[in-house]
Amino acid sequence: MSHATKSATSGGPSLAGFMPDTEKLHRLSALLTLLLLIVGFSLASQAFFSVNNVLTILLQTSVIGLLGIGLTMVIITGGIDLSVGSVLALSGVATGMTIKAGLPVVPAMAFGVAVGAGCGVVNGLVVTRLRIPPFVATLGMMLMARGLALQLTGAAPISQLGESFGRLGNGALFRVVEMQANGFPKVIFPGIPYPAILLLIVALAAAYMLRRRQIGRHIYATGSNEEAARLSGVRVDETKLYAYAMSGALAGLAGNVLMSRLITAQPSEGVMYELDAIAAAVIGGASLSGGVGTISGTMIGAFIIGILRNGLNMAGVSAFIQQIVIGAVVIGAVWIDQMRNHR
Amino acid sequence: MPRHHMSKTPLVEMIDIEKHFGGVCAVDRVSLELYPGEVVGVLGHNGAGKSCLMRILSGAMSLGSGEIRVNGTPVTLNDPNDARAVGIETIYQTLALADHLDAPANLFLGRELKTRFGNLDDARMLEEAREVLARLNPNFKNLRDPVYSLSGGQRQVIAIARAIYFDTRILIMDEPTAALGPSETAMVADLIRQLRSEGIGILLVSHDMHDVFDLCDRVMVMNKGRLVGSHAIDEVDKDDVLSLIVKGELPSDWSARNLEAAQ
Repeated sequence: MSHATKSATSGGPSLAGFMPDTEKLHRLSALLTLLLLIVGFSLASQAFFSVNNVLTILLQTSVIGLLGIGLTMVIITGGIDLSVGSVLALSGVATGMTIKAGLPVVPAMAFGVAVGAGCGVVNGLVVTRLRIPPFVATLGMMLMARGLALQLTGAAPISQLGESFGRLGNGALFRVVEMQANGFPKVIFPGIPYPAILLLIVALAAAYMLRRRQIGRHIYATGSNEEAARLSGVRVDETKLYAYAMSGALAGLAGNVLMSRLITAQPSEGVMYELDAIAAAVIGGASLSGGVGTISGTMIGAFIIGILRNGLNMAGVSAFIQQIVIGAVVIGAVWIDQMRNHR
Repeated sequence: MPRHHMSKTPLVEMIDIEKHFGGVCAVDRVSLELYPGEVVGVLGHNGAGKSCLMRILSGAMSLGSGEIRVNGTPVTLNDPNDARAVGIETIYQTLALADHLDAPANLFLGRELKTRFGNLDDARMLEEAREVLARLNPNFKNLRDPVYSLSGGQRQVIAIARAIYFDTRILIMDEPTAALGPSETAMVADLIRQLRSEGIGILLVSHDMHDVFDLCDRVMVMNKGRLVGSHAIDEVDKDDVLSLIVKGELPSDWSARNLEAAQ
């Protein structure tokens, strides 16, 4: 993009406008934290920096990353979406039930994503039409989507969905497998997991949408000063609706990735995932008071959480201690966010 | 009435405008006319209904009852886009800027320039913004900074630029100089004179008597939701206007004085 170079500032064409120095600093510190974690865990455990484990982290982070991208959009509008963990489960269940009903995998997954988007649209309508605060509206959806997923399945997982259902979550690009003399396959390079590729594509698309499209500009404007945006002719309600719908659709996509990986539709999956996703966005510099946030920041945040969980596992830290650590990180991240706003 | 405009169709007519909030009558059957190239001061206490009337005309507030005509044609102003579509631009006292966006993004907010592929054309918006802002304030350099980091004067300049950049025919200015220093105030005054000479009609909401008598052709005074006076600026003096604002009526000796002046 030649016109990008015209601007005197360093960042992308429009990004610089939304990236005050404090925000750059925040992202830099998040990146530094990420590097410190990687170095620390590599020293603590030899297996941490192996190809296999790096790919595992990519896989694990992709779900939180997808949820985090949707939440970033909602958070930039000044809202919050607590329902993504439950919507993830409901979407996965919807896909599973559709496959059981006889539909092929791809349309079934599309249906699952559409169910997620539908939940997002309901969130958006409750927020914009009924004027219910986003926290309450999406808390309600969190309970309803989870309840619906459990009710539809009788709280039992839907299994035997076929090998092709598992391809999205378990497949990989450039996987190199060699047949050995003894007849057993030997994996030379496990390949780049599809979920990681999907995350990259979605992240690039979301970043493009936020930076280069009008709707993205309006998302920032709405969160920055809703009344000003409205007076400037921004259709504030439609903008919010769009953000919630995207968040729901991405939760649906994440649900399909996760259930595909398990090759089972689990109605009880994804509990408290919304908190990891919110934490990812906030660690990455998104402000809960709106108007601020980037996809690249959220990706850094998602990897901080993913690596933290993985590294603590590898280091043999118990699941209970892990919860304590992640909890502290979430509080720390929100605290940093508040300090930034009290500037 | 500005005699020299009497023959033309008014740019704007607001006829019998009423607006209630609950039982409170914020605007009580107020009518207003604005002619091309005319600057009309809209005065009154806080809560007298002038802001309400202006918000109705800018599309930010719904009309209770009454009619609005632009160039003689009745219009419906359901939101700010409707008002802008007929050439009504507003500079709000709050400025209505999105703090985290930079000056070009604010200038074009809601009316972004796009490339052939529908992407935001930030390069062109930056160039256009640079040009229009430089005309208002030659020292405006930090165009890419978020506007919360700018001075009050710079923020005001962005709000003004946004209101005059597009095809403006009617400009509502709500306390445009309240946040400004002397040199910037003078700049705004020059701008108002220039816009008037271009045939733009301006409604100037102000508390500053000096500005009002310096710039306006006519004053409209509101008191408790009603229009209590509409006078050519040379018919009244400062005390007359203050009396209208405070008491809702002209001083008792006004007509006598005015007759004297006429003779």
